[in-house]
Amino acid sequence: MKKSILIFFMVLLTIPMLVACSSSTDNTNASGEDVVEIDFFHRWPNEPRKSFYDEKIKEYEEANPNVKINVNSVLNDSYKEKIKVLVSSNDLPDIFTSWSDSFALNLVSSDKIMPLDDVISEDKEWSGKIIESQFSGFTFDDTTYGIPFTVDGKAFFYNEKVFKENNLEPPKTYEEFMAVLDKLKQAGYETPLVEGLTDKWAISHYLGTIFQRILDPAVLEKDYNEETAEFTDPGYVEGLEVFQELTTYMGDVSTAINHEQARNMFANGEVPIIYMQFAEIKMVEEIGKVDFAFFDFPAFKDGEGDPKALTGAPEGWMLSKEAPPEAIDFLKFLTSEETAFEFTKVDGQLNSIKGGVTEENTSDASLKAFELIKNASSTAPWFDNAVNIDIADIFMRGGQSLATGQTTPEAIMKEVQENVAE
Amino acid sequence: MLRRRNKIMPIIFLLPGIFFVTVFVYLPLFQNFYNSFFDFSVFSTGKVFVGFENFKELLTDKVMVAALLNNIKYAIISVILQVGFALVLAYILENKIFRKIAPFLRVVYFMPVMISISVIALLFGFVYNPQMGILNGFLELIGLEELAQPWLGNSTTAIYAVIAMSQWQSIGFIMMLFVVAIQKIPNELYEAADIDGAGKIRKFFSVTVPQLKEAIFVNTLITVTGSMLVFNEPYILTNGGPGFSSMTMSVHMYQEGFVKDNMGLASTVAFIIFLITAILALIQIKLSGTGKDD
Repeated sequence: MKKSILIFFMVLLTIPMLVACSSSTDNTNASGEDVVEIDFFHRWPNEPRKSFYDEKIKEYEEANPNVKINVNSVLNDSYKEKIKVLVSSNDLPDIFTSWSDSFALNLVSSDKIMPLDDVISEDKEWSGKIIESQFSGFTFDDTTYGIPFTVDGKAFFYNEKVFKENNLEPPKTYEEFMAVLDKLKQAGYETPLVEGLTDKWAISHYLGTIFQRILDPAVLEKDYNEETAEFTDPGYVEGLEVFQELTTYMGDVSTAINHEQARNMFANGEVPIIYMQFAEIKMVEEIGKVDFAFFDFPAFKDGEGDPKALTGAPEGWMLSKEAPPEAIDFLKFLTSEETAFEFTKVDGQLNSIKGGVTEENTSDASLKAFELIKNASSTAPWFDNAVNIDIADIFMRGGQSLATGQTTPEAIMKEVQENVAE
Repeated sequence: MLRRRNKIMPIIFLLPGIFFVTVFVYLPLFQNFYNSFFDFSVFSTGKVFVGFENFKELLTDKVMVAALLNNIKYAIISVILQVGFALVLAYILENKIFRKIAPFLRVVYFMPVMISISVIALLFGFVYNPQMGILNGFLELIGLEELAQPWLGNSTTAIYAVIAMSQWQSIGFIMMLFVVAIQKIPNELYEAADIDGAGKIRKFFSVTVPQLKEAIFVNTLITVTGSMLVFNEPYILTNGGPGFSSMTMSVHMYQEGFVKDNMGLASTVAFIIFLITAILALIQIKLSGTGKDD
């Protein structure tokens, strides 16, 4: 008798296990109560943005007591990986940050992203304040899936004092640039140019701009489209050779550090030149040890691309298809003029909201950069967002191997062409 | 009546265990094997059957070859240092001369095991730093500055720098297992060896090693399979770079799956890792014939 009771309990014990395992897949938003929970995912666990968003969340929650915001954040490369896991596991947060172009397109192709056309046309007062041109990276087949927020671009930043001491002028052409680097090397700078090559995206930024400058725009357009990509133009080999030449000025140290360490070296005056985003201006200013200015990526003699084009693309916010209406309201809050103004004041990165960047909340250098972004004749997307990630990875790892002398530009292009042909 | 009930009871007691192992180990294993015949990404809505294409692709994939070679290097160095050196270390610590300070030294050697691998990897990131790293600083201090280099940024040294870190961490653990095993060896054997006039080294090879056969086998198994699965160390320190010079199979699998979105290919890599570790384990079990001694 006792034994049968025991068996009964054993069966009882196994039932919840079975139930728990099978029902865990269909957990929808728990909006049974008055409080609506919004899952918010961004990619800045580092300061100052973490505190900025934490504060904004608090502010919003106080104004809207019926909303609870669950925030989560991981850094750049990890973010790219984690968001993919979340998409595949049906666990997409309600509101999250996204890069434009191919990164956004990938997310959109999962069919889990909310189209925002209606939201934009319904509230003109809010959407009218967003700089129109920045929407393009989030628009696919005439449907907009994201709200651009931060804008960015990349340029060479140089230490003004070092340039003055050595009688150097910001170079306009690639030949002049090489001459500047040589002179700096002779002046005792073992590493005249620095980059954190362990960050693969840093390599892709170089390559993206170099290819844009050297190659015919029509060729790039064809190769950046997955269906027509060939990568057979000899300009790519030329571009990789340029990158290889640049790495010879980066010293031993660059292959072993990341971009943040490289930036700190520049900010401490150890290295005179760095290729860096406008978003980073404030971080260098905060260390406050060097006076710096920037010059555009120098033009190539036979370059077929627009030498005035700017590499850089906006980042923005996306919503999950299943996001509650409160998430849309929160999105508007995040991209309002007030938030944008405060954001640039705290963080330094420029934004795409009209009235969000003025001389009151940003430095002269940043304002100059903002003008450059607004007036750029054309913009080129970040290379790792522009092409299929398989291709980008071959270029980026290839770039690392080029810097350590393990491969040749021809070998990289051969691998790319083989991959494209598959 | 009684006999029949006795037959049912063990099965019922085993059920929860079997249930969990099936759902969380065997099912994913088969699912993974099944997935390795498809081409799909996390974003795609359907899977495309490609047969053995993924396996064929891996055979010609130079990254996979480089990764496998790195895993083999990892295994060889780990067995020499973690099993060989840790055994010697344990023997020395258990020697009468060190009786007094042995407990202290055991703690010292075991300390790295208790620190999270992520913390250690970040720490070694600083140690290897070409600018301010203490390794290069030390080399300069003793006049070997020509040996100083960007350890993680040089494609020939990167994988060894990663391996060295994991040795630093794991030796203490294996040493501890050996210490426990050595303490179980009957003292009479050593006394008999003493009477025969055996020295310390002779005793090590004639008494300790044969007595520890079982422990050596288990530890070798742990290190070799561990070496085939190694992920954290290269992922945090170098992310497989520069190029793919410090890539291991697990990092390759992760990058194929979550960076490049080739879930099918990643499943294939996972299956191959499983195959390799399973075969290694089988070979080792066959060779050593464990279980028969007792």
